[in-house]
Amino acid sequence: MPDPEKEFAEEWRDAAYNCFSSGHKFCREVCPVMQVTRNESWSPTAFHANVVAMEKGELEVADVAADYVNCTGCGACELRCPNSLFTGDFYRFRTRTVDLVKAVRGLAVEQGLHQPGWQRWNLLTDERRHEPVLGATPVEQARVRDWADGLDLPIGGESILFVDCEAAFHRTSVPRSVARILNLAGYPFGLMNEQWCCGGPAAEMGYEEQARRFARHNLDDWRAAGVRRVLVLDPHDYITFTEDYPKYFGDAYDIEIVLVVELLAELIREGRLTPHVPVERAVTYHDPCRLNKRKGVWREPREILRAIPGLTFHDVDRVTQWSYCSGGGGGLPVEKPELTAKISEQRVGKAAELGVDTLVSACPWSERPLSEAGAARSIDVVDLHELLAESLGVAP
Amino acid sequence: MKYRYQEEMSPPPARRATDVAITRFEHVYEVEPGLMTEHVTQQTFPNWDTLRLVRSRADHLAWMHRHFADKVISGEELLHDLDE
Repeated sequence: MPDPEKEFAEEWRDAAYNCFSSGHKFCREVCPVMQVTRNESWSPTAFHANVVAMEKGELEVADVAADYVNCTGCGACELRCPNSLFTGDFYRFRTRTVDLVKAVRGLAVEQGLHQPGWQRWNLLTDERRHEPVLGATPVEQARVRDWADGLDLPIGGESILFVDCEAAFHRTSVPRSVARILNLAGYPFGLMNEQWCCGGPAAEMGYEEQARRFARHNLDDWRAAGVRRVLVLDPHDYITFTEDYPKYFGDAYDIEIVLVVELLAELIREGRLTPHVPVERAVTYHDPCRLNKRKGVWREPREILRAIPGLTFHDVDRVTQWSYCSGGGGGLPVEKPELTAKISEQRVGKAAELGVDTLVSACPWSERPLSEAGAARSIDVVDLHELLAESLGVAP
Repeated sequence: MKYRYQEEMSPPPARRATDVAITRFEHVYEVEPGLMTEHVTQQTFPNWDTLRLVRSRADHLAWMHRHFADKVISGEELLHDLDE
């Protein structure tokens, strides 16, 4: 076994045996990929068992690298694992399947084992400084603030709004809604001087050097402009800024990160925002995986929905939704769009059972696959921020 | 939830609960860290992650009760069932 693989197996050995020796496999039924494929080689258990086999010299990363594509990074498996849910906080040792999958992907890239879709995606991201999302606005540095045209937003300031690539170039009505709502509430904020992709997707697909380079650029840009606080509307960015950046920069990471959906709920609570325009829709809410499962954020989006007059809200609780996913995360739509589509169809099917006409999400990356699946069932997929803007009378 | 690195990486001071357990957050117990230095070492655990697990566990147990616990069975009844 090559040395990097030996080091890797040693690093992940305890975690791997912790999973392999348990065998309860609660993870399987909450895993979106397992739900639609029933492929045991793509289960969270298999991802750990492979490490046991690597440690014993029975396989190398080249044998299994392609299997690790099949994960959305939703975090359901590691949360539902009893080694997290029932003992993780007690031992300060929990199951970390998402980190393991990222680590194997990183190890594969280090050894020149690329997945073709991911390699091209990250190459283009490196060239353009933003992910090559498809949208009306061409992806290039000069256009990253086009979504804000006509809003007269300042550059820099103590608080800035960071807009993910999907929202900046494709789902532009989402950041426009957020900006108009914050302006309405009188919450001061600006935009970055030179925003690059957060780097999170590169890290998820195994391109960690690139991810770190992008993170370094963004942090330097914030510091140069005197930024103290970053407002984040995208759950994926929120993970990157609160889990990856702290790992990269340690004690030197002195930026406050604020999730916009939590801020908006607070502004409603304080009476600084009062939704008043009725929105006559029958809706259910899709808990974005990175908020509900990976961060435990589920109350605030529901608070916002319940503050909007006219809505008929068919709620599905957060624990039931541990087994729901759009399929839009972890690079899966880049490498295996057919799996993303199946997962999204399944999620929209759950919404259809409730008889709703609208599925509300709070994650721009989930909204493209969910919209495609929703079209077949005449279910609209609407972003929570846009819905709130509508009820506040500030159309994007 | 505002994320600040220094706050997240600074857990509240530990109070001893038993010979083998400490507590940092109300009603949340942790193994004595000295027992986790040899075979399996502890991971970096920001405060938000500890609290996320604790709250998720409570939500999960409530969910289990709502879905599956529609009657209370005494220990005596259980033993009786086993004897039969």
